[in-house]
Amino acid sequence: MLSIVFHKRRRLVRRLFFNHEQVRTMSRVKRRTTHPPYWHVLKNNQRQDEKISSDNLRFVREVIQDKYKNKSPIKGSDLDIEKKEWDPKTKRSGVIARNIGVQHMWEKDGKKVVCTVLHVLDNHVIRYVPPEEYAKSIIGAKVFRNRKPLGCLVVGAEAANPDRFTRQYCSLFNEVGLLPKKRLARFIVTPNAVLPPCTPLTAGHFVVGQAVDVYGKTIDYGFQGVVKRWGFKGGPASHGATKFHRRGGTIGTGRDKARVWPGQKMPGHMGSERRFCRGLKIVRINMKYNVIYVKGTVPGPTNSIVQIFDTLLPRRKFTEAPPHPTYFPPEDGTLPQEDIWDSNMHVFGSPSIPV
Amino acid sequence: MRQLFANRTSSILLQEKCDEADEKSVSKQKPGDESGNTVVVAPPEFRFMYPEFLPDPAMERRNRLKEKLERIDMLQRRSVVEIPEFYTGSVMAVTVADANSPNKFARFVGICIQRGGSGLRAWFILRNVVDKQGVEILYEMYCPLIQKIEVLRLERRLDESLLYLRDALPEYSTFPLDMEPERRLNNSVVPINPLKVKLRPRPWLERWERQNLQGVEDLNLPQRFYDKAEKVAKPWEKYDLMLQYRKTIPAEEQEKIFSDVHSQLQQQEFKRKMRRRRGTDNEQ
Repeated sequence: MLSIVFHKRRRLVRRLFFNHEQVRTMSRVKRRTTHPPYWHVLKNNQRQDEKISSDNLRFVREVIQDKYKNKSPIKGSDLDIEKKEWDPKTKRSGVIARNIGVQHMWEKDGKKVVCTVLHVLDNHVIRYVPPEEYAKSIIGAKVFRNRKPLGCLVVGAEAANPDRFTRQYCSLFNEVGLLPKKRLARFIVTPNAVLPPCTPLTAGHFVVGQAVDVYGKTIDYGFQGVVKRWGFKGGPASHGATKFHRRGGTIGTGRDKARVWPGQKMPGHMGSERRFCRGLKIVRINMKYNVIYVKGTVPGPTNSIVQIFDTLLPRRKFTEAPPHPTYFPPEDGTLPQEDIWDSNMHVFGSPSIPV
Repeated sequence: MRQLFANRTSSILLQEKCDEADEKSVSKQKPGDESGNTVVVAPPEFRFMYPEFLPDPAMERRNRLKEKLERIDMLQRRSVVEIPEFYTGSVMAVTVADANSPNKFARFVGICIQRGGSGLRAWFILRNVVDKQGVEILYEMYCPLIQKIEVLRLERRLDESLLYLRDALPEYSTFPLDMEPERRLNNSVVPINPLKVKLRPRPWLERWERQNLQGVEDLNLPQRFYDKAEKVAKPWEKYDLMLQYRKTIPAEEQEKIFSDVHSQLQQQEFKRKMRRRRGTDNEQ
């Protein structure tokens, strides 16, 4: 988490991640932007309704297939970088997933548990930015201002037809030779958890029973009034209340500092903010469909993209080595166990709980 | 709360009862598709027998993969516990593991007044009157604490929701706790009980005159109630196709879902029958 930086001239600098309580006092800070950072290349193809004949369309598709067909996923034995040891201070890569909904499951004592189902998309590592280079970038400089710099893995998910993207965006994937991905994310990793480009990341990257942090954008509620946005009580529904049912009421005192204070809670845009849900426990992993079941709920609506990392919370970190640097299916062709459950959870095919 | 059955299907229910002449649960075979293979399709009654396999129709929250995984889990649970076919108006007995009861299992008999939810969240409410006290219990169908669900009397009523039993005379909600399962004479058709229930004098919990109930005797209210009900009524809703469309899953999707589920459910039923037969043979 960053702390706020005050320059000598008292210019407030925009932070990247916010503590919700502090936001109320920082009214001049911009919480969300509708445009990407200026160093991003233009992503989506601006041309529309291109009149292309069916023959040419077929040819374009053949070219795309020829270009991308020969890539195969990296096995554990193909890793260029020598396998480094795991230690408790290692930071592994995270994973991009889609929140596909909420399912009820039960524990062994019959207690119901609301679990979020996260579908790990087709993640591939795109590139690795070593610590020295990352520390020179704008965000890297801020993140590692007072500490030892770490590397950055760029991971992409959800391959798509190159037609919908611009040439500059597709060129990001030229080195790797992968189909361009709809979504990119950066994960901070220690140098011993580096993965070579084109490595696939699957649900097996995580271990059942571990705690994860999930980062996503909250549900967008749009322009909301003060009752929903800040939890105000509003006014009485009857007893003669004239046009005062869901309004804010008074916004300041009369005498002392006679003005509206910055940060006064008022109606405005609610939601669509980046948030973390920390320390969520993984209760089940389905290796066949690449799906993780996580206990609790996750920021964002159904079918939205989230990022999953190993948890930051110190008491819930790993004590034993996880699949490091990531999970690779066994090379002797044996398939892994399809459905792995936490020891505390009631498996659906097993007999009913007696008491 | 979301209604699983759209208003139009209640009329279809009555029609289907007349149309059915054959044995139920015979799967139809579609004429072959392009590859020449016959596709086995579940009978259309499946959407009434197993409505919890249909997902919540709200498009923003739908995801095919999650629905598929949920269905697999539901079938796994059904392979352990028999969750029989039942409707609102059926009398059922549920045995639940309960740490606080003397023999560790609690059995409750009651009439199903409402059912809802989709997937693993499917629930139903049983109502009975015990020691002159009306008792309603909501059971989650896929909860692993449930040991056994028996249907003592399988029948339907004229309404999809029997919440008016709360305002009816207690004899309509009373069922003996040691009730034996009744044998059905005609296995293919689920009978519709045309019982008209007498309500207690007002005040009531809800405005029953506004709800177009079929299974209730004439309410005998002053005319002003009916006038107000007419003012408040929405008669255009029965012509609103998009409203019905948004409340239900399209027929093609329903077919796909139930054809997935059909073969597994049939296998499970077959295994259970064999176990029962083997059980009776062993007794003999």
